[in-house]
Amino acid sequence: MPGKTPDKEPVENGGYRGGKDIDMKDKDLKPKGKKSVKDGDDEMTVVVPPSKASKQATAPPPNDGDGDVVMDDVEKTAEGEVKVDPVVQAINDIKSNFALLDRAVALFDARFTLRALRSISSIRKRVTPEILAQVISETYTSSSTNSHIAKQLLLAVGRPSFPLGRQPGPEMEIDVEPKSSSKNTPKKESKEVIPEIDIFLGILSQVFLYDTKQFQLGFEFSQFLADRVQSLNRRTLDSLSAKVYFYYSLFSEQMAPLPPSPQSLIMSIRPTLLAALRTAVLRKDVDTQASVIVLLLRSYLLTSHIAQADLLVSHTQFPENAANNQVARFLYYLGRTRAIQLRYTEAHEHLTAATRKAPSSACALGFSQTATKLLLVVELLMGDIPDRATFRQPAMESTLHPYFLLVQAVRVGNLEDFETTIAEYADTFRRDGTYTLILRLRQNVIKTGIRMMSLSYSRISLRDICIRLHLGSEESAEYIVAKAIRDGVIEATLDRERGFMKSKEVGDVYATREPGEAFHDRIRACLALHDESVKAMRFPMNQHRLELKNAQEAREREREMAKEIQEGDLDEDDLGGDFEGM
Amino acid sequence: MAERQLTQIVGQLKSQSPSSQSYAGAASLLSKAKLLLLQLNALTPSPSTPQSLLTLARETYEQGALASIRAKNPDAFTRYVSQLSAFYELPASVLPPNPAEQSKVTGLYLLLLLTQGKYAEFHSELEGLAARATWSDIEGDRYLGYPIRLERWLMEGSYDRVWRAMKQGETPCEEYGVFSEILRSQIRNEIASSSERAYPSLPLSSTKSLLFLDSEGAVVEFARNRNWTIKDGQIIFPTAGAAGEAAGEEGGEQEQEVSQMVIENALGYARQLETIV
Repeated sequence: MPGKTPDKEPVENGGYRGGKDIDMKDKDLKPKGKKSVKDGDDEMTVVVPPSKASKQATAPPPNDGDGDVVMDDVEKTAEGEVKVDPVVQAINDIKSNFALLDRAVALFDARFTLRALRSISSIRKRVTPEILAQVISETYTSSSTNSHIAKQLLLAVGRPSFPLGRQPGPEMEIDVEPKSSSKNTPKKESKEVIPEIDIFLGILSQVFLYDTKQFQLGFEFSQFLADRVQSLNRRTLDSLSAKVYFYYSLFSEQMAPLPPSPQSLIMSIRPTLLAALRTAVLRKDVDTQASVIVLLLRSYLLTSHIAQADLLVSHTQFPENAANNQVARFLYYLGRTRAIQLRYTEAHEHLTAATRKAPSSACALGFSQTATKLLLVVELLMGDIPDRATFRQPAMESTLHPYFLLVQAVRVGNLEDFETTIAEYADTFRRDGTYTLILRLRQNVIKTGIRMMSLSYSRISLRDICIRLHLGSEESAEYIVAKAIRDGVIEATLDRERGFMKSKEVGDVYATREPGEAFHDRIRACLALHDESVKAMRFPMNQHRLELKNAQEAREREREMAKEIQEGDLDEDDLGGDFEGM
Repeated sequence: MAERQLTQIVGQLKSQSPSSQSYAGAASLLSKAKLLLLQLNALTPSPSTPQSLLTLARETYEQGALASIRAKNPDAFTRYVSQLSAFYELPASVLPPNPAEQSKVTGLYLLLLLTQGKYAEFHSELEGLAARATWSDIEGDRYLGYPIRLERWLMEGSYDRVWRAMKQGETPCEEYGVFSEILRSQIRNEIASSSERAYPSLPLSSTKSLLFLDSEGAVVEFARNRNWTIKDGQIIFPTAGAAGEAAGEEGGEQEQEVSQMVIENALGYARQLETIV
């Protein structure tokens, strides 16, 4: 898609250029792996030529504001060595992640792994088969036990003849930052390559194959990688294996026949995913668990197996401390299932949470758009009218336009407008997967229409209602109004002999319990937010032991001092404020 | 050998089906057919099953489904439908679809879900149909459009249209008529409950047309069942007066409940505040 490149530029730089580009972004942003898309739109990626590497590296890819060291490193090197060959630069970037992975294994801290994973989005634009092959050949020696993995990696990259165990070229030694070189080089020679690095390189190859649309090859390679992940049992691999499954299922979606057809490959990988889920639950592997549940849900919804999706949700427990993005996706899929099952209140709850949890930066705009669309429809189905402000957000304005017209029709209760909007935008709604939901809205339009009339007239004939709402006959109008009265939509009575509807006086809302309930809801939301933020605070592992040790030492010091005082060696002055602190 | 026998049975089932009143005969034939399918290892489709056998198996189940509907046996029907779903998911290259029969059975299933009030399942099923490309236009389909339209009318409350759709000759085929009786009483109850709230009183004659009853005698009978009082040819709905009286009592009770809730909430906030500060 070379034609799209100019449109993409501002996105990558985090810039934003007015409402017109949104649809484009919706598509462009999907492959970032940060969002989940329901509709099977072809996801496209632009592989930016390596010459732009230095410029691209300054783009801020991480979407959560964790002050992270890697990115700073990348940016620093990118600024400092603009003239450096982009190939070497990319190789160094990849290798600097190995150090992180090493550290993750040594310190048993998943955060380092996450950092390595996050840098993928900046590396992926510069990856070429040569770069990957070079990294692989420099990382593995031909004699090492996992050289067969290296061979598979090379095969995936399309350079099967690359020799293993090549020494880094002379220019490498100069460019590699002192920190990473001191960490990397000796290890490489003395030690086996840790599996984390295998998998990391595997993920990079997956990303590369995906970006270059080699779906067949990518699918086969993913199969191999998933098998490998399954055979390993290392807790430090958790977040990496979650990614492996993610791309595995992404590849399967891209293979013909495409998802809605029941023969799609996503059916065939379901057993693998379910097995992975079982293992992940047993190992308390939160990352894989969350990721696989989301993938399965997505796969079920793509083929419209609503009942299965529902069963999956009821039989599994989504991990509480899963990554924010996974939670957002899960909530979105859950909301979708519930909406189809007519459980609108639950759907509304889940979808609101999903839109709120969605990252606010431009990189996940597509997700927020998709979730917002669904949320709007569910709100309408519940009989609420969405906020006007939702449609005014610059990032959403043009994609939400059809929904805006829909809301207008429902708000006024104009059946005619409603029908024309549906007819006009049927394709858009179908693509968004909201069409069948929107068709259910018809009764809401009628109800709102009746409510409007009951509010504006104290007495109106059934014939007028029938004409205004374009109902088939007066008889229909009578039944519909009677039903509306029973359902509590309006407060009115019907007079059959004279054929009119008489509205009752509306009571004072503030005399009811409604304001209290609304207040309570808000307070509850605030308290929940507070609780969650307390829970989300992170502390370095084993820090308390360090403190305990300090306390122990202090106590010993104290004892010594006490002893010395007893022996009379110390003056009162020498003690200083030490005792005060105890 | 077994396959030829099966073909024969399916042929028999088809030929007798239109007028058949003897469910027992059909049932015995069906169980024979299912035994044969078991022998041929074709109860559920597997990649190695030949196409001719798949077609036979599907036809057996379809006939079984229709027969159990005629016998008013919803459980058996649901069983057949779930067995059929495995066949309907097969690609067209393995088993060419037979849209007429498939939509007939699926439409019946939708109608069954509708009459049982299983709206969630109804919509889940519908969503699945929309995703599958067997039908280009679901609503335009003779068999599938019917339950979909009925659901829409029921939801918005156009009961008169539902009523008209259920009249003889309007249903797509005779099997659909089985559900009409259930739907009819369902609608009548719906109308009755909304009338209770909507009208203060109604003359007997108009109630008759409102509830689609045949005679005023039937109206009186129906009114008695629902505890409506009849006075001077007028039906007076009991809820209107009684509700007013009850409202006074309820009001006091409700107020107490509301204040209790407010106190509870306020205490809760105080406790939470304490933990935070």
